[in-house]
Amino acid sequence: MTVPDFTLTDQAGRPWTLSDHRGELVVLVFYRGDW
Amino acid sequence: MDEPSTNAALVEKLTLPFPVLSDPDGERAIRPFDLWHGEKGVARPALVVVGPEGEELMRQVGGEFSDRMSEPELVDRVRALAEEREVEPVDQPPPTVEEPDPSDGAFPEDAMTPYFKGVKFAAIALGMRAPQAKQEAEALRDEAERYLEAASRREQRG
Repeated sequence: MTVPDFTLTDQAGRPWTLSDHRGELVVLVFYRGDW
Repeated sequence: MDEPSTNAALVEKLTLPFPVLSDPDGERAIRPFDLWHGEKGVARPALVVVGPEGEELMRQVGGEFSDRMSEPELVDRVRALAEEREVEPVDQPPPTVEEPDPSDGAFPEDAMTPYFKGVKFAAIALGMRAPQAKQEAEALRDEAERYLEAASRREQRG
């Protein structure tokens, strides 16, 4: 099953797109935030 | 969930070697991944490993943060998945670690043992006075004892 692609903003305001990382293994850690 | 500026502060503070992404309303990734906790309005604590073709290789969703898979276990699983699929490790810049510079308000290490002794006996006293909180009080006492045991082993090693 292919996961949904997304583009999100990193801590420096740069876009980060999941599909740019094809050919790699990506570990996504979801956390609730509000540190 | 947090805004990029909050994440920037976190990355700087913890010198994290990986990007921390922001999905404030959960619309772009959290909901499409079916990880939105509607009642609480936050993401469910989860680990998802995505393979080289964009396929989902592993998913662990926790009820709360304490039941997240341990780091060594995750690293082992990811290594095994990478080997199976012959994925080469990607170079990642190592975190830059600066000399610790605790503020004047920081808790000194030699205050930890008396502090946890206090926690232990406060927990015991609490458990006796408030039977309805006995379980929590015992958990807190055990936690304090674990710290004290670790501190004592460390002292013995010198």
